[in-house]
Amino acid sequence: MTLLSVQNLTTYYQIRRGFVRAVEDVSFSLERGEAMGLAGESGCGKTTVALSLLKILPPNGKIVRGKILLNDLDVVKLSESELREKIRWKAISLIFQGAMNAMNPMYKVEDQIVEAIRLHEKGVTKKEAKDRVAKLFEMVGLEPERAKGYPHEFSGGMRQRAMIAMALACNPSILIADEPSTALDVIVQAQVLKLLDELKRKLNLAIIMISHDLSIISETCDKLAIMYAGRIVEVGDVLSVFKKPLHPYTQGLIAAFPSIYAPKQEMSAIPGSPPNLLNPPKGCRFAPRCNYSMDICLKESPSLIEADKNHFVACHLVHK
Amino acid sequence: MGLRAYVARRIVYSIILIWAVITINFLIFSMLPGDPIAQYVASLKGRIDKERYEQLRHDFGLDQPLHVRYLHSLISLLTFNFGREAGSGEPVLNVMREPMLNTIILMGTAEVLSIIVGILLGVIAAYKRDGIIDTVLTTGSLVTYSVPIFFVGWIVILIFAIQLHWFPAGGWIPDWPRGYVPTSFEYVLARLRYIVLPTFTLFLFTVGGWILLTRACVLETINEDYVVTARAKGLKERTVLYKHVLKNASLPLITSVALAFASLVGGAIITETLFSYNGMGLLTWHAIYPVPNLPLLQAIFYISALLVIIANFIADLLYGIIDPRIRYG
Repeated sequence: MTLLSVQNLTTYYQIRRGFVRAVEDVSFSLERGEAMGLAGESGCGKTTVALSLLKILPPNGKIVRGKILLNDLDVVKLSESELREKIRWKAISLIFQGAMNAMNPMYKVEDQIVEAIRLHEKGVTKKEAKDRVAKLFEMVGLEPERAKGYPHEFSGGMRQRAMIAMALACNPSILIADEPSTALDVIVQAQVLKLLDELKRKLNLAIIMISHDLSIISETCDKLAIMYAGRIVEVGDVLSVFKKPLHPYTQGLIAAFPSIYAPKQEMSAIPGSPPNLLNPPKGCRFAPRCNYSMDICLKESPSLIEADKNHFVACHLVHK
Repeated sequence: MGLRAYVARRIVYSIILIWAVITINFLIFSMLPGDPIAQYVASLKGRIDKERYEQLRHDFGLDQPLHVRYLHSLISLLTFNFGREAGSGEPVLNVMREPMLNTIILMGTAEVLSIIVGILLGVIAAYKRDGIIDTVLTTGSLVTYSVPIFFVGWIVILIFAIQLHWFPAGGWIPDWPRGYVPTSFEYVLARLRYIVLPTFTLFLFTVGGWILLTRACVLETINEDYVVTARAKGLKERTVLYKHVLKNASLPLITSVALAFASLVGGAIITETLFSYNGMGLLTWHAIYPVPNLPLLQAIFYISALLVIIANFIADLLYGIIDPRIRYG
């Protein structure tokens, strides 16, 4: 059974000059124990998707359309108190970029994890919760005694591990990792990714890995969704998307990534910049930057179609 | 470094500061043209001879070399021995007693009200940022904050004292008939009537600053990742705000609150003068004009500076207790 099914998720931010259409008609699904990468450049709506799943958007953000079905429960329709009890941290937890500031500097790491445990499991004593923190710390490869420390006493990698420990405190079925390895050096980055991969197998955890780094996603994920200007343009198995990218944007993105085996060549880049989401292009949002743009691309927004088995793309070229 | 070492270091800093304050205080007053005796002599308009003048200078130790006077001054200030007033001969400390109490009543009420209301409104403004409430509060704060306080005072007196006759326009205690002893209830009520307008004026003048400061501090922390984490954990919005936002936002506020209380004893010169309120501000004013009263001024300066140092020390202590990064940093 599908664990998470996001259907036509559309999230806008209201600002003085109108609505920023940050996420539009985003659909994807996730199975138990599956890792999906969500890639795209800065500002394409990756984080907004994450915040929408937990419904913790900033006050001016609003889900205007769509469904987020988690075990057949529509997150969009839940009340604030149901969200707090059933979804946040209980079903879906979230870790951040480098975890530099993801933990409150004022409280001991242990207390912050205990706070999460005792919030969701009434009746757990402080002592029991602390024992659980020690176990969690062991699981993520930290010395349990360190839990008594403050976040500023941790190194970047340790902080990220502690954050992962906190994220797993209430046995969620989905972990959203928003740029989990940015701001970490490559070695620590590799360790953190390896840890996530191990935990995924061990706990049968579904992971949504948000990153602009395709190499990270290719290493850790089963599935890849490429976002551009608030829309998913291509989604499929990591292998088939990498081997046979169908959307011109995906092609450009992969081409922009130098291979260490390929002969030396100029770096390729996609000319232009993403559209203003206050007033996005009417048709395909990538059309103004696309080399293959046709008349229809400027008029009609392409919908996601299954081009190959488990490989979907939203491009008028593929219709042909 | 633990909390103990941190506190020890703060104490040493404070002691050095107190020494510096005494030294500067001494230097300023010894650099002023004319010593207290010269002023006393001048006020006698020649009804004193040179010999008597020298005798007085000798009696007060003013003919001693600078370093001896400095040492003397150091010891006196450290032991709160401010000497006697030139005119009445009353100990300076006694002269300050009533005005200081009056000022603490007035400024204390105004400051406490303004801090509580300011922080509450500031949090609301930050929380509802860019909304109507925020716009009204921010604009209002800027206006009351930037209008000169004597002008605010005039308007307040004009409306509530002269037009509406609700409260007295000035003074601090009613002229009870000779021999009349008011009951304590009567006394408190009367005092309250007199502090309403100056308190209101000070409140109007200061509350805007607190609103703006709190709003800025909260806004700075409200978008931090750990606030998003707290929300993602499923905490109630109120818990997020009070436990995770406000504690971080409170650090810059603590210093400001401490300093506000320190400056409290110095009194509000303009407001107290405007309302003829017998507090430290009015006392300071009278110690300057028309005849300078140097020993009194010196005592006022010293006590004000001392309170600022103490307040800073307390603020640093609170910092150390609240923020683990400072304690161990």
